[in-house]
Amino acid sequence: MEFNIDDLPVLFPYPRIYPEQYAYMVDLKKTLDAGGNCVLEMPSGTGKTVTLLSLIVAYQQYYPSHRKLIYCSRTMSEIEKALVELKALMKFRAQRLGYEEEFRGLGLTSRKNLCLHPSVKREKSGNVVDARCRSLTAGFVKEKKEKGEEVEVCVYHDNLDLLEPHNLVPNGVWTLDGLLRYGEQHKQCPYFTARRMMQYCNVIIYSYHYLLDPKIAERVSKDLSKDCIVVFDEAHNIDNVCIESLSTDITEDSLRKATRGAQNLENRISEMRDSDQQKLQDEYEKLVEGLRGADDGRQEDSFMANPTLPDDLLKEAVPGNIRRAEHFVAFLRRFIEYLKTRMKVRQVISETPPSFLAHLKEHTFIEKKPLRFCAERLTSLVRTLELTNIEDYQPLQEVATFATLVATYEKGFLLILEPYESDTAEVPNPVLHFTCLDAAIAIKPVFDRFSSVIITSGTISPLEMYPKMLDFPTVVQESYSMTLARRSFLPMIVTRGSDQASISTSFQVRNEPSVVRNYGNLLTEFAKITPDGMVVFFPSYLYMESIISMWQGMGILDEVWKYKLILVETPDAQETSLALETYRTACCNGRGAVLLCVARGKVSEGIDFDHQYGRTVLCIGVPFQYTESRILKARLEFLRETYRIRENDFLSFDAMRHAAQCLGRVLRGKDDYGLMVLADRRFQKKRNQLPKWINQALLDADVNLSTDMAVSSARRFLKTMAQPFRAKDQEGISTWSMEDLKRHQQKMDEDRIKELQAQEEGESNPLPRTVDDGRESDYEMDDDDEAELMALHNDG
Amino acid sequence: MSRRAPPGARTAAAASSGSTSSSALAAINTEDMCPVCKTIRYLNKDMEFLINPECYHSMCSNCVNRLFNDGPNQCPYAGCHRTLRRKGFRSAFFGDLAVEREVDIRRRVAAVFNQVEDDFETLRDYNNYLQMVEDLTFDLVSGTDAQRRAAEATLQQWEAEHKADIERNRKAGKEADEQSRRRLAAEREAARQRRFEALREAEEEKRERARSREEELDSLAQGEAGAAGGAQRVQLKKRGQAAASRAVEAAVKSDVAAADVGRLSIRGLKEKKKAPPPDGPYDPFGGLDFMPSRYKLRPGLTHPGVEKYKVDPAHITGGYNFDEYAARAMFEAFAGLGVFIEDEKEVGIGLSAGEVATMSAGIAAVGDKMELD
Repeated sequence: MEFNIDDLPVLFPYPRIYPEQYAYMVDLKKTLDAGGNCVLEMPSGTGKTVTLLSLIVAYQQYYPSHRKLIYCSRTMSEIEKALVELKALMKFRAQRLGYEEEFRGLGLTSRKNLCLHPSVKREKSGNVVDARCRSLTAGFVKEKKEKGEEVEVCVYHDNLDLLEPHNLVPNGVWTLDGLLRYGEQHKQCPYFTARRMMQYCNVIIYSYHYLLDPKIAERVSKDLSKDCIVVFDEAHNIDNVCIESLSTDITEDSLRKATRGAQNLENRISEMRDSDQQKLQDEYEKLVEGLRGADDGRQEDSFMANPTLPDDLLKEAVPGNIRRAEHFVAFLRRFIEYLKTRMKVRQVISETPPSFLAHLKEHTFIEKKPLRFCAERLTSLVRTLELTNIEDYQPLQEVATFATLVATYEKGFLLILEPYESDTAEVPNPVLHFTCLDAAIAIKPVFDRFSSVIITSGTISPLEMYPKMLDFPTVVQESYSMTLARRSFLPMIVTRGSDQASISTSFQVRNEPSVVRNYGNLLTEFAKITPDGMVVFFPSYLYMESIISMWQGMGILDEVWKYKLILVETPDAQETSLALETYRTACCNGRGAVLLCVARGKVSEGIDFDHQYGRTVLCIGVPFQYTESRILKARLEFLRETYRIRENDFLSFDAMRHAAQCLGRVLRGKDDYGLMVLADRRFQKKRNQLPKWINQALLDADVNLSTDMAVSSARRFLKTMAQPFRAKDQEGISTWSMEDLKRHQQKMDEDRIKELQAQEEGESNPLPRTVDDGRESDYEMDDDDEAELMALHNDG
Repeated sequence: MSRRAPPGARTAAAASSGSTSSSALAAINTEDMCPVCKTIRYLNKDMEFLINPECYHSMCSNCVNRLFNDGPNQCPYAGCHRTLRRKGFRSAFFGDLAVEREVDIRRRVAAVFNQVEDDFETLRDYNNYLQMVEDLTFDLVSGTDAQRRAAEATLQQWEAEHKADIERNRKAGKEADEQSRRRLAAEREAARQRRFEALREAEEEKRERARSREEELDSLAQGEAGAAGGAQRVQLKKRGQAAASRAVEAAVKSDVAAADVGRLSIRGLKEKKKAPPPDGPYDPFGGLDFMPSRYKLRPGLTHPGVEKYKVDPAHITGGYNFDEYAARAMFEAFAGLGVFIEDEKEVGIGLSAGEVATMSAGIAAVGDKMELD
């Protein structure tokens, strides 16, 4: 369908549109016009991606500025899905407009997924693929080839140089598969095609990391212009991605390997001194001159990039005492030895970067400044030495990255040395965590560089938490409810078992037999009434294991077994995928299955249980994080001191976003239906922290239920769902045809005119503000949470 | 704690040098066996390795005691003819002794070459200077004998030439170090303070909540759950508003005070004489006053030892007032104080001097008095 938003003609590739999609578009356009950031929450399964794409593409094509769209998503499958949507959209546009637009859309993923080289693509690990690819495609390899030396090269990569650099693929949208096929036909490397075509694209779809991880971002995304529109989809975990991208863990083993790497470097340097003195000399000259990067041409094959952020980039020359290669290697070795010595300490240490640097200087005479240049200097050296087996230097690179980060940031980071893996471990296995505490650091350059950043997800409540945590201003913050022609999902909060005893996974009671039995009964009852698939989420693997073994002892699993097949998620990815496959098979035929999984595991994020694959989701307990972790404690303290976010607020927020994510798994569209059961006494007070669309559907009658009440309510619900439901019933309510939309627009216009008139009439009495400020007490934790946290604290 | 020399401590720096000291470094590759007496860690759990910066040969502390207790002696390593003293031995900071030696040399160099960036006109000059220092250090660490001698000479020459500069920079450096240390300490202290503050706040909040709940219960018990009180409680319950709630409380108090003052009063009206106290109910103690005379009980009397029971549900059950506890404790503490047996005895003796027969009555009187106090 085709309609206008203000003056912007939008082509939407479906004959009908959901009301929330329209509202979403309106807000999106407002944001783009204003040139600011926004946080938008739209229920899962209401076509978020296509809405985003169709509006932004329309915006791109209509306005002369042709702002580029950078669409970031989380997983490969989501990227592929978005590309398919985009392709369909462009096809529709071509049909409607009658001509093909000048448009290119590309997806980018790792070399491992895009490689065509017959032997390299068979490698299992992504790192090995990267390293082998570099060894075949690096600039110096080609030079050697031209000089007539016998070296192995990649034909697919070298063919690219024969093509016009700005026209490696024809116009159109290229899905990852499509690009692979095209590459195979024309014998050109899909990965480098995508990389090099990025600046000539209208739409780029890739993973968060290409923008957030400064180690990659500088290499991949540095050519993107300022007016790009950046979208982070499925962004409810974006703060964790930011933090992970700047944190490193160093173990004794990696230090050993780093020492070996430094040794190898030294050998190579002395070899090179004997054979090819000139190259080292050239590098040295360049460093003296303060030229950044030994050659500016081909950055894409570089070994690693500087992990600090673009605005902190070191503009000046490399300090004199690490200019010469052997000086630098000795410098690295000293640093590594120092770290090794620190690792021998047998108690937990947490330290800020300045105090670490002071101690370092006292014992090794390493100053802050050369340390900051560590990563850059190593890259330059590796390039000069023309190293090919780069994977051997991975640990050394980690150490260099750590050195650069620790010397660059004084605030927002913490070094935590944990000598033992757990409290009870006897054998020391020290790990030096260098953790980023501030999610805003990694994402700051994105906000600085791009004028419009859109953060969106199905579950991103409470909305105001994100701007606070990531430290950015917003133009629009909006959460949309779901318009439904029938009540197609039933959220419930079960607080008591059938025996009226309250159920909770709080620390003190979680292993009490009565609580476990009540949870077991709940599971059995819902297994009885649920058609097809049922998913159960536990707060942690540990708890899941203990409760399953207790259920086994009580004979509850045997009871469930009568109704459903039981499958369990494990930390092992392969086992889990096998379990998932079996689950899907069981859901498609027979009585269905129960999948027991963990709220922070793989299943809870990114795997959809649509239609028969998930009719009930049962969330056992509030999925709090493990509060004993020192890293988490440090982060909580940082949040409190810097952003004035209380510990309990954050923990509660984090638990609820995971719970919401679990609930969202089951409902993937308007014709889908499902039960959402939150089984914990503590959920009752946390109700307000659920996303708006879930909270709205949660009736007052459905909170504080006991098991038997919940079951009877669920039975009633399933009976209504069994009635025939035709697409026609939805029309005008939850889907709009063109006429409905026109009517709505007209109404909106009239409203606005009325409002304006009212304003003109009563200039003196402006409309009362209806902003709801009364949400401060939303995150109120109840005493049990606190008691539990206290118990955990005391434990440690 | 021992420092271990990892296998492969052999470095190019050590290998390239022909001198006795560094070639011998290469031999150290055992981490659990003393190279001198061949004791292994299995036999001596707290074996500690020591080195002497003369030659960096490591040996266990037992060997050091055995060999050097009677004054200077030769290094036990074959081919090393240095004379070592007991005093020079210390435990190494680094596992890799080559690095240990390098750092020691660096310490010496850094004491002399301590110019900072501000001393140079351009960054490039500074960088050149840094490189010169680094080259010199390298010569000292791993140069040939000739190079080392040359470097040593340069070092001394520089020291002689720039004595004033060096001294100045040393002072400045020390000051900067001191400053940064002080700043770090201050930061740490501030963080600690903040943490403490937050803890206290949380505790207070919790207590506040408990109190408001208790109040609610009390008011329910008295059957007057007023609307105003309810509103105030809602206020109190709201988190993060401890300060606000305090303000509200203060406001309420002042309101009450204002109400007291502003009670309908007609000027000139004589203050009403208090009605004569009605004949009270029968007093079994005959007007005996139980108010303590020697001390005054204030309401909210606390002691760190009993503080924790205030929030302990086992001690604040219904019908029990926590202040009773303090009253009782005070009573017991003071009971008997101010009663001097000697005085009483004297009185008693005086009496008995007169009349021995009334002795028992006297004792009874004393007993009475004691009870009163």
